[in-house]
Amino acid sequence: MTKREFDPQVKQLLDGELTLADLPAELRQEGEEALRLLAAVDRELVSLPAVTWRVMATLERRRQRRLTWLLAPALAAAAALALLLGRPANPPAAASSAMVTVRFVLVAPGAHQVSVAGTFNRWDLSATPLVRSGSADMWVATLSLAPGQHQYAFVVDGVRWVPDPTAPAIDDGFGRRNSVLTL
Amino acid sequence: MRRLGLLVLGLVAVAATALAAQQSIAARLSGRASPEIVTLVQELGSTAASRGLPIDPLIQKAIEGNAKGVPSERVATAVRLVYAQLDTAAAALRSAGPNSPPDTVEIAAGGFAITAGLRGRDIAELARTGRPAAAVTVGLRVAGTLAALGVPPAEAVTLVSASLRAGQAPGDLLALPGRVQSEMARGATPAQAAAGLARAAAAQARHGPPPHPGPPPHPPAPPHP
Amino acid sequence: MHAETGDPRKGAPSDGEVVRAVLAGDRERYAVLVERYRDRYARYAARMLGSSDAAEDAVQDAFVRAYDQLAQCQDPNKFVGWFFLILRNRCFAEQRKSRSHVSLEAASSVPTGDRSDLGTETAERRRALQEALMGLTAEQREVFVLKHVEGLSYIQIAERLNTSVPSLKMRMHRAYDKLREQLRDQA
Repeated sequence: MTKREFDPQVKQLLDGELTLADLPAELRQEGEEALRLLAAVDRELVSLPAVTWRVMATLERRRQRRLTWLLAPALAAAAALALLLGRPANPPAAASSAMVTVRFVLVAPGAHQVSVAGTFNRWDLSATPLVRSGSADMWVATLSLAPGQHQYAFVVDGVRWVPDPTAPAIDDGFGRRNSVLTL
Repeated sequence: MRRLGLLVLGLVAVAATALAAQQSIAARLSGRASPEIVTLVQELGSTAASRGLPIDPLIQKAIEGNAKGVPSERVATAVRLVYAQLDTAAAALRSAGPNSPPDTVEIAAGGFAITAGLRGRDIAELARTGRPAAAVTVGLRVAGTLAALGVPPAEAVTLVSASLRAGQAPGDLLALPGRVQSEMARGATPAQAAAGLARAAAAQARHGPPPHPGPPPHPPAPPHP
Repeated sequence: MHAETGDPRKGAPSDGEVVRAVLAGDRERYAVLVERYRDRYARYAARMLGSSDAAEDAVQDAFVRAYDQLAQCQDPNKFVGWFFLILRNRCFAEQRKSRSHVSLEAASSVPTGDRSDLGTETAERRRALQEALMGLTAEQREVFVLKHVEGLSYIQIAERLNTSVPSLKMRMHRAYDKLREQLRDQA
C-alpha cells in the first residue's frame, strides 16, 4: 500500500460506511481530501428536449423509406419491361404517381425563419418555408418528392446554410455540405 | 441526291435540337445564374449532349451556387467539376459493358456516387453485376449515399454489389443506408455495419432469404472489470 | 432509477399499456415513452460519455433501438429497466469505439454547469473530476456514476448489473485510487 492509494478506511468513508469523525486523527486530512473529491461530483440533472423529436423523426423517415420499398418493385418491373422491348430505360411515366412524402425537421433555437432548399425546388430559399411545430425551437415541413436523388440544406434566417444533422452529407463544391436524400 | 438531302435534313435536325437545348438551358438559368455562368453551362451542356452525358446536374450546380451567393468563379469551378465527374462515371459505365450504353439517368447516378467519394473503378464494378440499368442506377445512388454516411468506398461497393447479385429489389437497396445507420447507432463503425450487411446479402444469394430477423432477447451481459 | 410501472400522475397510461399500444400499431404513442424517460438516464449517459452532446446521441440511438426491439421486451411494465440496459450497451460501445480520444474530447466539451451561481472554483473542480473520470475504465466509471451521481446503493447496483457487491467494491476502490492519482497529476 503506497501513499498514492487511499487508506482502506478512507475508502469506507467514500463508500458512506464511515464518517469523518470515525477516522483516526492521522487519516483526517486524507479523509477531507476524499470528501472534497466527492463534493466535486456533478449531480446536475441533464435535460435532452431534442431527443423526442429526433427519435420520432428518425422512425418516421425510416417508415417513409419502407413505403418506397412497397412501391419500388413496380418501378423496377416497368423499367425491366422497357428494356425487353428495346426502349431506353428512362424513368417510366408511372414514377410521378409514386411520390414519397418526406418530413423535414430542424431544431433551430433562436431562429426567426427556416426554409429548406434543394434540387427539388431549384434551391429557392423562399419556396419551402418550415413552420414551427410543438416546441418553439422545432421547425417542420412536409413535401411530396419524386423517387430519385435529392440534395438539400436548411436555410436559417435567410443567411445560414445548415445541413440536416440526421442525414448523409456530401461536399457541395463550395466549401459546405449538402444533405442527401435517396428515395 | 436524296441521300444528301436526308443528310442535310439530319444536320438541320441536329442543329435545331442543339439550339433548343441551348435555349432550354438559358431559360432554366434565367435569373438564377450570372451571364458568364449561363455561357459556361451552355458550352458544357452542348458538349455533354453530344457525348450522351446528362445536362441537368450542371444546371442544378449552377443554380445552387447562385442561391448560396457563391462568386461566379467558384461556381464555374464547381460546374466544371460536376462535368468531369459525369464524364468519369460515363467512361466507367461504358467500360463495364459495351453492349448497353449507359443512359443519362444512370450516368447522373454515377456522377453523384463520385461526388460522394466513389472512384471510377467502383462505378464499373457495380455496373458489372449484370443487372438491368434501373437496378444499377439505384445501386449507384445507394452506394453514394452509403459513402456519404462514412462507409469506405470499397465496403459500400461490396455491400451494394452483393445486394444486386442477390437479386434484391430496389426497395431493399434503398433501405440499406437506414440499416447501416441503425447498426452505427449500436456502436458499429460504418465499415463494420456495411460488412455485416454484405455478409447477410451474400448468404441470402446462396441460401435464399432468411426468416424474419429477431435480435437476441437480452442485451449482452455486463462487461467484467 | 428503480423500475417503475408507469406515470404516477392520475390517468396517465402505464408503460405496459403504451408498449402494447405501440406494438399493436399505434406508432406515434412511442413518443410518450420517449418523453417520459428521455431525461431519466441522461445524466448517467452524460457522466459516462463526458458530454451532453454525446449523451444526446446515445439516448436517441438507444430509444430507436428499443423501438426496433420492442417486441423483445420481456415485461412491458418494466420498459425503463430494459431500456436502461440498451442505453448502457450503447454507452459501452461508444467507449470501445473512441477509447483513445475520450480524454481529450471530454476535457473540452464537459458541461460544468455554466450557471452564474456556481463559483469558478467549483466549476473548475467539477471539470477536473469529470476529466479524471474519463481516465477510468468504463466499468470503473460506471460504478462511480451509479453510486455517487445516481445515488444507488451497492446492492441496487449489483442487482441492476447482475454482479456481486464485493466485485463492485473492488472496482470502486480501484476507481478511487485512480481518481486521486489523476487529480494530483492535473494539479
